[in-house]
Amino acid sequence: MSSGIWTSARTWAGTWAAEAAAVFAKEWRCELRTRYALSTLGLFAFTTLVVVSVSLGPLGVMKSQGSAVLPVLFWVILLFSATAGLPRSFVQEEESQTAIALRLSATPSALFCGKLAYGLTVLLALEIMITPIYLGMMSLAVRSPGLLAVALAAGGYGLAAGSTLVAAIIAQAKGKGTLFAVMAFPVLLPLLLLAIELTRNALGGEPAGVALSQLLLYDASVTIAGLMLFPAVWNP
Amino acid sequence: MGDSTMYPPGEAVLSRLQKDIVPPVTGPAILRFEDVRRRFGRLAVLEGVSGSVESGGALLVTGPNGSGKSTLLRCLAGLLVPDSGTIEYREGETALEIEERRRRVGFISPDLAFYGELTVEENLAFFARLRRAELARGLEVLARLGLPTDRRAANLSSGMRQRLRWGWALMHRPRLLLLDEPFQNLDGAGERVTRELLGAHLAGGGLAVVANPNRLEIDCVLGHLDLG
Repeated sequence: MSSGIWTSARTWAGTWAAEAAAVFAKEWRCELRTRYALSTLGLFAFTTLVVVSVSLGPLGVMKSQGSAVLPVLFWVILLFSATAGLPRSFVQEEESQTAIALRLSATPSALFCGKLAYGLTVLLALEIMITPIYLGMMSLAVRSPGLLAVALAAGGYGLAAGSTLVAAIIAQAKGKGTLFAVMAFPVLLPLLLLAIELTRNALGGEPAGVALSQLLLYDASVTIAGLMLFPAVWNP
Repeated sequence: MGDSTMYPPGEAVLSRLQKDIVPPVTGPAILRFEDVRRRFGRLAVLEGVSGSVESGGALLVTGPNGSGKSTLLRCLAGLLVPDSGTIEYREGETALEIEERRRRVGFISPDLAFYGELTVEENLAFFARLRRAELARGLEVLARLGLPTDRRAANLSSGMRQRLRWGWALMHRPRLLLLDEPFQNLDGAGERVTRELLGAHLAGGGLAVVANPNRLEIDCVLGHLDLG
């Protein structure tokens, strides 16, 4: 009996993972042919990056205040870039009426994870692109590069997971833009505060402190909440 | 605790896992719905609709625009939950719950769309992976319908899109077909082939609910439900 359960569980996990991988591959294939999210996120991030860098510059903020203020601006850039492009992944399914075929075909949790993986890779690509530029233009020294990488990875994951969850909730509603802002605020606020604190610690060479464990806890909570809520939100 | 003495531990888990991976059960299938009601806000679209259809037969649903044909089919597919009433679908001895019904049915509707950025074959391949179906079966249907598989879905005419819907709906070899205006936008040859496909489906022990504004001449129609 136990070997039967084990075999079934492995088969189920394999097919579930194949479904999530199919959704992930489909998202990227569509994205590479339209470049909607990439161009929206990239342009938005680049514009705000240039505005912030030119307005403040390395001399615009006193060095003593720089490590306190500049992480805030950095995460604000990432937040607005993410919210400009990521919610489209679910909204597009509803608007183009592909959601019907998807509802009839996909396991909701696999669909959520496939979309989350896509959002995460887009966001990580954005972070890899803008972080060196931002650090260079603001002449910011990073005393703990490892911790900064962890902050970007954990913060980026939380941002992708939170955005995917809220996007799924609002996809079938009217007034999606306003609703996304209203719903994303309480979901993403704790994440931003923790990611900013962790980034500050990385710049200042301080230990991660409790911010890292809280950020990882946040990521786990949003993922679990997403997996539990999504089937109810997605299906009638 | 009572449950664990009735069923060996792990039996329920095994059953839940197998629901997703076992092939469709054999044996006669039957779809029954009774007193199905559905409102959208103040608008009552379905008011106590009942019907049934068994293996080898089709139920024809007719009625003017706005009479609730599409809503009924969406309820039967599990895309909408009725406000009241019961929908029961059995394949052999197994009664399928709404989640399973949703993944087993073959559904065609004018509202059903595919990814415009992907080609016909890429669309089918994507859904074949999700439904654990054979892509070859979908391509075989499309070959019969004469639809080029290398063309992007965005560049298909309305008749070609309808052919793609047929290929998609039949790809996973469903027992139950829910067809909303199935011959819409098809030319003479397309309608002839799709009628043959429907006939073969019913002859092979499948069942279908066909919704259309006007009465259609279809073989094996066992019942007619007029929502007008």
